[in-house]
Amino acid sequence: MLTEQSAYTNRWRHVSPVAKGSFSLCGMVAAFAAGSPRTALLIALILAAASIIGAGIPPLRYLRVAAPPLLFLLASVLSLVVTLDSGASDGGISIHLAGPELPRIAQVSCRSLACLTALLFLALTTPLPDIISLLRRCKLPDTLLDLMTLCYRTLFVLSEAVHDTMTAQSARLGYATFTVSMRSLGGLVGNLAVQVWQRSLAYHIAAQARNNDGALRFLENSYTNSRQNISVAAAAGGVMIALTLVLP
Amino acid sequence: MTGSILNLENVSYRYPDGTNALDSCSLTIRRGSRTAVLGPNGAGKTTMFLHLNGILRPSAGQLCREGIPLDYSRAGMRKLRSQVGLVFQNPDSQLFSASVREDVSFGPMNMGLEEAVVRKRVEEALLAVGMADSADRPVHNLSYGQKKRVCIAGVLAMQPEILVLDEPTAGLDASMQEELTAILDQLHTAGMTTIIATHDLDFAYGWADDVIVLQSGQLLAHGIPEEILLREDVRSALGATPLVADITRSLSLIGIDLRDNGYLPRSKNELLRAINAQTRLEHDQ
Repeated sequence: MLTEQSAYTNRWRHVSPVAKGSFSLCGMVAAFAAGSPRTALLIALILAAASIIGAGIPPLRYLRVAAPPLLFLLASVLSLVVTLDSGASDGGISIHLAGPELPRIAQVSCRSLACLTALLFLALTTPLPDIISLLRRCKLPDTLLDLMTLCYRTLFVLSEAVHDTMTAQSARLGYATFTVSMRSLGGLVGNLAVQVWQRSLAYHIAAQARNNDGALRFLENSYTNSRQNISVAAAAGGVMIALTLVLP
Repeated sequence: MTGSILNLENVSYRYPDGTNALDSCSLTIRRGSRTAVLGPNGAGKTTMFLHLNGILRPSAGQLCREGIPLDYSRAGMRKLRSQVGLVFQNPDSQLFSASVREDVSFGPMNMGLEEAVVRKRVEEALLAVGMADSADRPVHNLSYGQKKRVCIAGVLAMQPEILVLDEPTAGLDASMQEELTAILDQLHTAGMTTIIATHDLDFAYGWADDVIVLQSGQLLAHGIPEEILLREDVRSALGATPLVADITRSLSLIGIDLRDNGYLPRSKNELLRAINAQTRLEHDQ
């Protein structure tokens, strides 16, 4: 929901998604081209600054959105740095710290961080419908994009259904004790399964009624100054990539 | 307002589970008319609507548009569905897209129109339902009444000749109902044939030119509201008569005749106006 909120309210909401997409892509290319962890960190910093200062996303919200993926990154870095070995000669478990591989691990994790900020930039500045239409222009298969469209919309419909059902259950003490909660939760899941089935049928009929015979086609948003925006974004992205080539 | 635009000839429909949802219904919808379809839950209103748009095909009998039987081929359906616009009851089961503008564009895009034409139609349709300011908003941030209006816009953008609405007033508050009535009046003035399924007898009595009453899949009555809705069998099927009609009749029993050149009041406002006129008349005498 936080991502959603930022995507619709940020300063660059009405900048062409092609511009934002190419900037994000340049960021990822730069992340891979970065020769040292320091350069990769610099790229990450630039991308985060673009999101926070450029698009005007509140820093606290940025951190809250970034927290879960950062946690995953931390976990994987730890698993790379620390190795548990049970094959020691005395039968015990020994902990190894990766010594000679440390520079490589630093390189990989900083690179991941830069990629993460590049993706966050796109996700926080561009509403999903825009991203989908961007992917459509990149000739991604229709089926995949239709699934994305429907998933995105039904996410909200179903979360509302979950909320309503849970409220109704709580109103009749459905979550009073642990046993009752488990039963209510089962009821909720069962009820939701039926709703999903009924809704998919209703969607199908509604689509037919509006003359649909396959792919879901919608009008794409038009953007003012998009050519200019794309040039600026591409130039900024180019500078990032150039930085990685110049810096060690 | 003459000439038929849509005919049902002995249309029957049996669902796969064996229920007879429609049982040899024959009726005519007049071009440019406002028709209200009434009947208790499960009477077959929605099933009939699904036939009008070609989603369901009658088990027996046939439907005709301007006297020609419906063509159920792919091309025929494309044509029919762009001429008969169907708006369902629950907005959340017919809005697929994330943003308002996108969703309204769905029908015209399916019709294969050029982008510039689609863009124009979408803006016009949103303007007609008073949602032009919300074009870029995500659908899930709209209120229930706004979602209903977006659904109507989605069908209007296809520029149909006939607009079919399944319970459009259900779940709307009084002011939203008034806004909807204003939209319907506008469409009527523009010549749109409108068919509405509703449980709101008072709305049907005030709005419709024709009423259709269904009971257990059968056509119970079809005609002008002043006659049909006061019939005893219709009253027992629907469980009530329009309030305005009841009051008018009670007043006439105590000697107050609200008839104005033979025209009886049909809506609350008309009733109040007639009572005021009557009071003034007595005051003058």
